[in-house]
Amino acid sequence: MKLSWRELGRVLLILVCVTSTFACAKKNIPSQPGFGPGGGGESGSGMGSRGGPGGLDEARWRELGINSEPEKREFLQKAEKFENTDVYFDYDSYVLSEPAKKILDDKIQFLKRYPAVKVSIEGHCDERGTNEYNLALGERRANSALQYLANSGVNQQKLGVVSYGEERPIASGHDEASMAKNRRDHFTLNY
Amino acid sequence: MLSRKLYLVNCLGFVLLLLLFPCLCGIVHAQRVVIDITKPSFERIPIAVPDFKYLTPDQTQLAREMGEALASDLDYSGIFRPLDPRGFLEDPQSMGVTDRDIKFPDWRKLGAEFLVRCAYTIQGSSLKLEARLFDVVGTRMVLGKVYEVEARNWRAVVHRFADEILMALTGDRGVFDTKIAFVQVQGKIKEIYVSDFDGSNPVAVTRDQGLNLSPAWSSDGAQLAYVSFKEGNAKIYVANVTDGSQRLLCGYPGINIAPAWKPGSRELAVTLSKGGNPDIYLVSSTGEVIQRLVQSWAINVSPSWSPEGRRLAYVSNETGNPQIYILDLSTGQKRRISFSGSYSTSPSWSPKGDWIAYNAVVGGHHNIMMVRPDGGDVRQMTHGEGDNESPTWSPDGRMIAFSSTRQGGSPAIWVLLTNGTGTRRLTHLGGGQELPDWSPRLSGR
Repeated sequence: MKLSWRELGRVLLILVCVTSTFACAKKNIPSQPGFGPGGGGESGSGMGSRGGPGGLDEARWRELGINSEPEKREFLQKAEKFENTDVYFDYDSYVLSEPAKKILDDKIQFLKRYPAVKVSIEGHCDERGTNEYNLALGERRANSALQYLANSGVNQQKLGVVSYGEERPIASGHDEASMAKNRRDHFTLNY
Repeated sequence: MLSRKLYLVNCLGFVLLLLLFPCLCGIVHAQRVVIDITKPSFERIPIAVPDFKYLTPDQTQLAREMGEALASDLDYSGIFRPLDPRGFLEDPQSMGVTDRDIKFPDWRKLGAEFLVRCAYTIQGSSLKLEARLFDVVGTRMVLGKVYEVEARNWRAVVHRFADEILMALTGDRGVFDTKIAFVQVQGKIKEIYVSDFDGSNPVAVTRDQGLNLSPAWSSDGAQLAYVSFKEGNAKIYVANVTDGSQRLLCGYPGINIAPAWKPGSRELAVTLSKGGNPDIYLVSSTGEVIQRLVQSWAINVSPSWSPEGRRLAYVSNETGNPQIYILDLSTGQKRRISFSGSYSTSPSWSPKGDWIAYNAVVGGHHNIMMVRPDGGDVRQMTHGEGDNESPTWSPDGRMIAFSSTRQGGSPAIWVLLTNGTGTRRLTHLGGGQELPDWSPRLSGR
């Protein structure tokens, strides 16, 4: 790169100006930036992205195969449980444990009853290890769940995968109990 | 003006003219006192750097600031030990600047082996600096330079002269024109930043308040590849360092991570999982796949090129946990080289090709390690002071920057000399700093 000092100075000056603007702007950041495909909400935030029971119009309810108020309530209740139940993994592992499979069996029941619902499976890791390896490990964890669901007859077209590696811990502690909570698949529904 | 400059050249003999303003043109000084800094017995060379001398009564505070900045550079190099100016016998504003005026016996008594003597004038916005390096023991001038530059760029000139001092005494330039890219962590936000080699002047490259990771300099220092989640999944983007423009490089289905530019090329090694498994691919400057370099059932991430671009160090967990492997691209042979820990990641091939730095879990903590490319001569560079990760080499191969949690829970960027000394903290920002990547030399010549 061939740059005169004058040019370099000018570029730096611009960058400095931009940085100071940024420093001010930083104060107004939202505490829960949205990530993930299909408008999937923040990890662990449950159904926050759709704003509650009033969010769907009648046409969409019919597409989901839901026609009465009690059916709507039942669906929303089950959907909330679906999203609030994570699957956990051992350290540096993406093998599904027996308890993990039990949780996924419940999710399969739900997805077979409501086949129009889409699922985003988020793979997460604890803070140990490196960011890049953990992004790959998180994807493996999400794919383990995806494979299990697909093998049980869930339409793979309705399933998506995203890995956050160690970047989105749900528990902030550095002890084993916190890290165990962070080694997880989290599920968000899109309906 | 020109005749005055010519006069100066004739008069000082050794002094060569380097005009940094308006354009860059320089002549390299030939006479060297090359000091072997690779010997294990090497001790830092005591050097005296008095305040610079102001020849005009403008911006007199620069006299001390420039002296301190130069002493700080020389200390950072790990080669010199700047002496405390409080012990100096002469007033820096009255003492002379040429070899005839230097009282060499006085400086020798203070223990100095070398002396830097600089004087400057300011005219309008223009700074003119005469800079000399003296061999106190040999009582002669080793190096003389004149710089003319815009006064606000004084720090760049000081870095430049520090580089020249290293060049003259060791035969190898310093790293004072380089930068370090890193990830700035603020709560859930991770942005790419770039600072000077010593952690000063941090500037944001990304400003989307999202999740940005793994900055990687191109070998000409003009571009930074990085990973961002701004479009949902992890994708690789490229930022142009000079104009700030950004473009998508790899947005294949699955993860697109771990960019590493092939030396002297516009191609990159990256990890993509588009084929179902996280494998390492070679992609073009526009992100098209050229070939798959590493393929297995295992996780394959974090490629780092050998300087000649014929071998690749990377991380694979094919034995059950992550370890460092080397792929010879001409033969296709793979070989594991890390055996000292249960979890070894983040390989970084040294610019001279003689070492691979990585981090491994030893004694319950991540520590920085060095190993020869054949797997021999393993050295542990940190010893359980917090977690130490993501090593990256200075372009002269004498230093390793890394992230460390040794002072509190949040990581900061630190640097150490490969002889195990000179450990110092570079970043003092709020939040945390991680995933450093050291730039190549940026002022090219």
